[in-house]
Parts: sequence; C-alpha cells; structure tokens
Amino acid sequence: MDKKYGAYICTGCGIGDALNIDGLAGVVTGEMKMDCKTHEALCSVAGREMIQIDINAGVNTIVVGACSPRVMQDEFDFGEDKITIRANLREQVVWCRGENPDDEYVQELASDYLRMGCTQAKKTELATPYQLETISKKILVMGGGIAGMTAAIEAANAGYEVTLVEKTDKLGGKALGWRKQFPSKAPWADLESPVVGDMVKAVTGNAKVTVKTETEVARVAGAPGDYLVTFKAAGAKSEWDAPAKVAVDEQDKIDKGQLPDPNDGLQGYMKENPDGEKFGSVVLATGWVPADVSEYEHLNVAHDKVVTNAQFEKLAKEGKVPARVAFIQSPGGDEHDKDFPYCNSVTSMVALKQAKYVREDNSDGKAYILYQHMRTPGNMELFYKATQNDEGIFMTKASVTGVAEQGGALVVSAKDTLLNEDITIEVDMVVLAAGMVPTTKSAPSVNLAYRQGPGFLDLDLFDGYADSHFICFPYETRRTGVYTCGGVRKAMPMDEVLDDATGAALKAIQCIESADRGVAVHPRSGDTTYPEFFFQRCTQCKRCTEECPFGALDDDEKGTPKPNPTRCRRCGTCMGACPERIIGFKNYNVDMIGSMIKAIEVPDDDEDKLRFLVLVCENDAYPAIDMTGIRRKGINNLVRFIPVRCLGSVNMVWIKDALSSGMDGVLLLGCKYGDDYQCHFVKGSEIADKRMANIGETLGSLGLEPERCAMQQVAITDYDKVPDIIQEFVDQIVEMGPNPFKGF
Amino acid sequence: MSEGMRVEPDLNFIKYLKSAGGDSVKKCFQCATCSVVCPLSSDGNPFPRKEMIWAQWGLKERLAGDVNVLLCHQCGDCTAYCPRGAKPGDVLGAIRAYAYTHYGFPQGLAKMCSSGKNFPLLLGIPMVLIGLLWFLSGGMHVPSVEIFKEAGFGHFFGEGKVLGGLLTKNVAFIDLIFLPAFAFAAFASFKGATAMWNKMSTSVNANQDYRPSAKQFVTEFLLPSMVETLQHKRFNECGTNQNRVKGHLPLVLAFIGLFIVTNYAFIVKDIIGYFVEGLHGPIAMGNPIKILANISAIAMIVGVGILWANRSNTEESQGSSPTFYDWFLIGVIMAVGITGLGAELIRLLGIPSFAYFFYYMHLVSIFMLFFYMPYTKFAHMVYRTVAMAFERYRESGFVIKAD
Repeated sequence: MDKKYGAYICTGCGIGDALNIDGLAGVVTGEMKMDCKTHEALCSVAGREMIQIDINAGVNTIVVGACSPRVMQDEFDFGEDKITIRANLREQVVWCRGENPDDEYVQELASDYLRMGCTQAKKTELATPYQLETISKKILVMGGGIAGMTAAIEAANAGYEVTLVEKTDKLGGKALGWRKQFPSKAPWADLESPVVGDMVKAVTGNAKVTVKTETEVARVAGAPGDYLVTFKAAGAKSEWDAPAKVAVDEQDKIDKGQLPDPNDGLQGYMKENPDGEKFGSVVLATGWVPADVSEYEHLNVAHDKVVTNAQFEKLAKEGKVPARVAFIQSPGGDEHDKDFPYCNSVTSMVALKQAKYVREDNSDGKAYILYQHMRTPGNMELFYKATQNDEGIFMTKASVTGVAEQGGALVVSAKDTLLNEDITIEVDMVVLAAGMVPTTKSAPSVNLAYRQGPGFLDLDLFDGYADSHFICFPYETRRTGVYTCGGVRKAMPMDEVLDDATGAALKAIQCIESADRGVAVHPRSGDTTYPEFFFQRCTQCKRCTEECPFGALDDDEKGTPKPNPTRCRRCGTCMGACPERIIGFKNYNVDMIGSMIKAIEVPDDDEDKLRFLVLVCENDAYPAIDMTGIRRKGINNLVRFIPVRCLGSVNMVWIKDALSSGMDGVLLLGCKYGDDYQCHFVKGSEIADKRMANIGETLGSLGLEPERCAMQQVAITDYDKVPDIIQEFVDQIVEMGPNPFKGF
Repeated sequence: MSEGMRVEPDLNFIKYLKSAGGDSVKKCFQCATCSVVCPLSSDGNPFPRKEMIWAQWGLKERLAGDVNVLLCHQCGDCTAYCPRGAKPGDVLGAIRAYAYTHYGFPQGLAKMCSSGKNFPLLLGIPMVLIGLLWFLSGGMHVPSVEIFKEAGFGHFFGEGKVLGGLLTKNVAFIDLIFLPAFAFAAFASFKGATAMWNKMSTSVNANQDYRPSAKQFVTEFLLPSMVETLQHKRFNECGTNQNRVKGHLPLVLAFIGLFIVTNYAFIVKDIIGYFVEGLHGPIAMGNPIKILANISAIAMIVGVGILWANRSNTEESQGSSPTFYDWFLIGVIMAVGITGLGAELIRLLGIPSFAYFFYYMHLVSIFMLFFYMPYTKFAHMVYRTVAMAFERYRESGFVIKAD
C-alpha cells in the first residue's frame, strides 16, 4: 500500500491548555515529515469531517494525537483499509502530569509520543486475514452424557453437523443411574423423574447428529477449522493414538537407546491419517468419575454399609433404601472444615435428594445430614428449604469424628454441632459425599496430536481441571478450538450443565466462524493479523514452539516450526522468544517497536532529563495507567509508555535498543503470574520475568547495573499504585546515575 | 468411640409440634437472630436458638425440662425478626402445650385436653355431669318470676336444706361439684409442677447439704415471682406484642377480683348464712362486693376480648396458625364472662328461663376452666410461676454454680 500520511492533534480535554500545540505540530511536520492539523475537538463531527476531507484527498494512514486508544474507537475508525495510530496525549500526558509540572518536561513527553505515533504509522502495514485452504464446519463432541448430548443438540439446532462420540454402548452417561433429578422448575421443591431418556431420543432422532457409541477418539490432529480426527473402537489400541510429549533431552536418551520410546509404534504427531475425518472444533464433555474416599479410615470406609453417594444412588434406583441413614458431607476428623475433594455444590444437593429417598421409602425414615458447608446456589435454596421442612430430615453443621459398628448398626459420632454438644447417631447406613473428579485429571482425554503433548497443560494449577483462566474466560482451555463443558470443566448439577454445554457449543461455533474469516477467536477476537515467519533465517532453536502457551506451533523433524494460525491467539510470545527476530505481525513487530523506541529523543547532556522506557501490557496495565490519568494522579514525566500485546511478546532486543540509545532504565508492567495468574495469555508475564532475569545477567557482563531492567506485576485495579511503582523505579536509577553509554 | 449425647429424634413429637402451632419449626437455620432480640437470652444460653434445633431434632426430653421455654411469655420479638419465617415464638408455644400434656396428671386426661378433636368430650363431660346433678337435685324447672326475683339462682339446685340443715341444697350441690373439681385440679397441678421442678433440677447442680425449707421456698422464690407476675414487668419488656399487657392485666385483676368475690360469697353465704337468714338471695347491687364483682366481670370480658383481638391480629399479620391450645383458653374465659354477666343481666330483666340456661352454661364453663386448668394453656398460671420460682432458685445460693 502506498501510504499517504496525515497527523492530527486535538486541543480539547485540556490538551491545548497544557501543551504548546504549535511546537508539537512542528515536531510532526519537521522531524516526522507529515502534514499536521489541529482541532479543538477532534472526536466531534466537525473534527472527523476535517480528517475525512483529507482521506477523500488520498490520506490513508492517520496519526491521531488525542485521547487514549482505549476510548473513542468508533469515532476514529476510518475503515478497514485505513491505518489509524493513536498517540495518547490526554490520559498519559496531560491528565497525569501532576501538580505544578515543569511545562518543558511535559512538552517533551508529548513530543515523544507524537514521534512514536508517527514512527508506528510508518512501520504499520495493513493485514490480510489468514485463510485455510479448506475448512470443515463440523463439530466433534466427545462424551455422550448430559453435557455432550446438550452440546450436540444445541450445535445441531444452530445448523452445524455434529458427531457425538461415546465410549460405552449407550448414550446418557452418569444420568442413566439416577433415580430422580433435582427440581428444575417452581416451586423448586420436588424431585423430578430423570429426563435423560428424552434427551437420548432427541439426539438419536436429530438428522444433523451422528452418534458413534463404543467409540473413542484416538487422536485429534490439525487445527481449528481443519482438525483431522481418528476414531477407534473403545478400549482398543491404535497406531494413531496421540503420541506423548517427548522433551529434547529425553529424545537424546531415546536416540541413544537409554530410554524406551513411549511413542513406539505410534504415528508421529505431524503424520496425517488418510482415513481421518475432518472437523472444525471440539467440545470436550468426557465428564467425571466419583472421587476416591478410601483414605478416610476414621469413617470406617471399608464397612459394607458405608457407601459413597454414587453407590447410594444405585441402591436407591434398584430398590428400597434403609430407614436410618447418615449423610456425611465433610470428612471431619483432623481435616475439620474441609469438604471431600471435588465436591463443589453438587454433593450438598445430592445429599438433599438422597435424604428424600430415605423419606420416600420409609414412613419412619430418618435422614441425617452432617455438613461443614451446605451449598445450594440459585433456586436450589428453595429445594434446600423444602427438604429442611421434612420432619424426618435432620441437618447440622458437624465435624464427624468417627463411624463405628455397634450391635449390628453403625454409630456416627460428631463434634462441634449446632446442638452445641458432641452427639452420636445410630444409623443403618452411612453415605459419604464423594465429589466429581474430572477425567482430565488422570488421562489426556482430548488426545491431541500436538507437539506440546496430547493433554492440557498445567493441570496441577486447578486440581486436574483444564486451565481456563476461569474468571475472565471460563470456556477457554489452553487449546484454541477445544471447549470443555459439564463435569470435566467443573463439578456441577444438571441445570448448570445444560447452560454450560450450550455455552461450549456456541464457543465451538464461534471458533469455526472465526477460523473461516481468518481472525482470532479469543481474547483478541476479530484480530486479522497473525504471526508471520521469515523461515530462511530460522535456526530451529525451538524456543517459539516450546514457549507458545497454546501449542500453536508444531515442527518438522528438523525442528522448523509449523505455524497453525487458527490455533494462535496472537499474543506474540513467539515473537518475544525468537532470538533471530524473524517472527512478526503486520501491525506489531520487532522492528516497529524498536523504531518507536529509537524515536524517543534522549538528551545526552542533561543529567536531569533522564529517559525511562516502560513497556506496558495493553490488557490490564495500560488501562490501569489510563485510570491513573483519569483520576488526575501524577506520573513521573521522564517515563515513556509503549503498549505491548502481552509481556510475552517483549523481545529482549528492545531492551538493548533502549539502553543503547541512551535511555536510563526499562521497566516492564504486566499481569500477575503464578497460581492465581491474571495474564490474558496465561504464560506471557511469567515468561517475560524469566527473560528479564537473563538479560539482567547480560547487562552485568557489560558493566551496566542489572537493576536498570525490571518487571512489576500490576492488576487492572492498581491505578492508585502505578505512580509509586514507577517513581520508585525512577528514584532507584536516578541514584545510580545516568546510563554511562549515553551519547555514544 | 461413641462419646456424646445419643440423638434419637422423636418423629411423633415433631409432628405434634407442627400440629400444635409449630408448623414452621423446621425452617430454622440457626442464624440466632432470635437469641439476639430475646430478652431471656444470655451469652452462654442462646435462647431460643438451641430450643429450635432441639425441636427440629425431636429432642422432647430436653425441651420438657427447659425452664426458659416456660419463662418465655411470647412477646413475639423472635417471630417478628426471624428472617426465615420459622416463628420461634409459635414453636415455643407449641412446646409449652406439649410440656403441659407431658407433666399432666393423670396422663389420659392431659392427652384428652391436648387436642381439639376432643372438644365435644371436654364440653360434654361438665354438661352431662352438672345437668345430671341438676336433674337429681329436683331443681330442674323454671321458677316463677316472683320467686326468681326474690331468690335469684338460690333455688337452682332446688329448695330446702340438706345434711341435717347444715347447708342449703343449692350450696351443697355447688360445693359438691366445684370443691372436688378445684381440689383435683390443685392436686394435679401440684403433681405436674413437682415433676417439672424435678426435671428442671437435673439441669442444675443443687446443693445437697443445704436445701430451702418450705417457708424459704415460698418467701424467697414463689412470692416474689407472683409479685413480679402481677406487675407485668416482663410483658412490658416486650417489643412486638406490647399491647398484650392491656389485655392480660385486666384479666389477671378480674380473676383476683372474682376470687375475692367468690370467697366472700362462700364465707358470707355458706358459712355466715348458715346462722343468719336472708343472706341467701342475690347480693344487693349497691354492695361494694357486688360492684367489685361487676367491674371484674366487665374487666374479664374486656381483657379477654383484647387478647382475642391480639391473637387474631397475630395470626393474620405474622401468619401464626390458629391452635386449639390458644383458642380453648380464650374461648372458655370469654364463655365464663359472657354467661356470668349474661345470667346476671337476664336475672335483672326477670326472665327466669333464659337466666337459668345462662347460669347452667356459666357453671359448665367455670368447670371447664378450672377442672382442665392443669392441662390447657391456663396451666401457665402454675407452670410459669413455678418456672419463675425456679429461675430465682437457680440463681440462689442453693445451687452450686458451674464456674
């Protein structure tokens, strides 16, 4: 595209009062060689008309020096075929200049933002969406329980072909074993007959749904829109089973014969099965297994009258249940307040349901529910109330201390009860509230033929549940195109499963349609850029393939990466990782940010005018800084912010660029990482932290203080802390003195 | 292993509570709002929270021996503030109804008085008994207006004297009916109250070496409790049902007034009248005793009328269930007042037939009020007074404190 530039400075919102606009315009026209116009309210109809007139006259690359790029996005959208770059003069210059600022410093700050904006405009290219050669819009649903069947029906009703795979010989899953199910309608008081039979009929009768029972998925290869799936008979072995991940050093040992090859006899993950079937996306609804409670010996778990809730449901479905039953919701003993593992709210409601069985089957039935926590969300509170109102159902918070046999009956003892004393209860049966363990805990389940292995990553973070950035993006897994729902995602009751599976089906559809349009699904939904590789200079170092948080990159036998753009989330972690700097996006690349850094004017003879570069995660830290400005809190004006897609995309050459151009320190502001990470790309800030530690060492070897580079974790709510974090960093370096390489 | 209280819920007890006004008992979720608002509750004794869970779990023995249940005078604060609609006040009422039956002597009679199903029987027994004696006395005929005007109800059970001239026939029959009835009720009350005292005593550590004498019991525990009752101090602490004092106080005073009148009549007519002729007719309207009687009768009707209205309001506004336990007492007292005053008014109007019918019903209702007293809500007169005495006893030096 032949670029014709136009730069525009807004003087509204206090910008014109605080800055010498003519001076700024001079920087743009003089240094940056761009036409520059000003307007008192650029976002107004008149302001935009002024720009539009220039566009009509041929301008196609627009630099807007006004408010934050996070606001007025529709106002400054001049069409997909135009490039618009925003320089943040309002929130991050004028509004955060603090009380009694030095006007000269503020003017220099604004000038640098315009220099960076114009440079960015020069380095930005229009993107063309990545297009798959062929696309499959079929959806694969793994697991034929309530969740899988719901997802299948919902996707089919939305017009998509669905294949539903079930390991056993019939659809229905765990629900087939239920005697009754929870209330689903007002007054939310009465148990209902299971509807699973109707659902099975609906699925088998749906022309768009192909059901494969007694079938398993051997492997899912390929990428969203273009998955290649191999099926096999349930329980059988296949050469197309998904290969295990083999690390580089393990491969060395295997090659030397020191280690058996775990993938012996299996086809490599890059091999394409000619008999495979194409799919667009995958819904994983492989469900759960009852938790193992055998470790709780004080509850006499070996006794044949001490059963789990799953076993009790079976007894209740087959016949009459005993008249006196204790439902133990928490192991008690030394664990005290803890519940049985994987319980969530479901086990509370199961106990209420099963207590009703005791009352239904026995006129003198007595059901005791001993709990630490009774969880009945939403309308289930009404179910709880109705159950509580039954004169034969007794509930108390209690710490169960033991279960013992005494004269043919079981005696449950408990302390810390609501009755304000230790109690014992004689019962015929004890039911333990075993939770729902996701199938992903013990097996890969999804069986991907990916370089990073067949299963999900970092399962330990969430007790075996697929890592999903649960609060912000509950449906996402670490594998684009694979959406979990039902028991495999969370221990949940049926009404929740219905919603959950519907949501997963919609995500699966969104993924296919995004792949079809060549745009990112999530979290940069609609992004038309994707990482492009200049393979001639690739050294097969495998850093990108290893570090990609989403397993988007496979590789060939030599180790050359094979990008799968439809798996990609466009975070740029690969770009940050690449030592050869051969990965980049059309509008975001190593050269572009590097040039912007170099565009910052660094005075080499003024000890007061130090310059600091702060690379800011645009997801949380950048809005936090905007909010600092909105609240008119001052931020040190020696600092220049550059937003990045994710700290994972920060290439260490930028640090070098900044320091070699005489800047005095570089700070990275990104999301929290660790167990309760907030990184939108899961691993980005964590990876950046490791890279910064490494670069610190390099700086040390060059005689520079490693402290000149630092990283800080910031939450989106930390707008009040940001000024202090930055000031502390600046003060520390002011104390060290200027960058000794300044001026060279 | 197996330490701690063995819990064996009594389903029938819970069903009884539900039928006797405590239908909301199972709703309690132990938030303790009731204990925060209840003036009877203290730090270590969260009343009525723990009573609610005992009731939910059907622990009737615990509740029967719980003094607080009887000290509660149903001010209604707990019910008003309960966020769950568990109506602790109503549940406690049901527990009290259960307790009166539980301690009632003899049990058969107590059980009979606990259910509205037996109301025809409860009404039928005194109607037949008094009717039969009326028939046997030979007085069962309507007198002439003149005789009625002169003798009033003095010839209700016939004329003449009996027992060798010791008593008039009329007085003899009335004594024959009511003295045994009062005596029986007093004895049954004593039995029940003793059983309750013993039960409650198991919850405190009584000093075995140093026990109160009968005199000490009366002067230190019983009398102060009665005085306190008379002052209606605790009622006045109530928040929600504040206006119950307006009904209960006139009612109590009316009973005291009528007690004085009855005793006056007993002494003057039955004893002095034995020596002095002419005291057998109705007391003159100007007689201070007659004035007291009439004021008391009106106070009784007004008092019970206010309580009636309160009860109806409570049922409407707080959704309390109407119970036999509550309405039997209100109904019978109202009947006593209406029939008594009615009989008097009709006597003054000079219509013997109506007057005799009212008088007959008056006797029947008085019999019901007092003969069934130990087993109906009226028993609170005894049990609550004893419980208040026990409360004083518990705080006294006769009990060794835990700490």
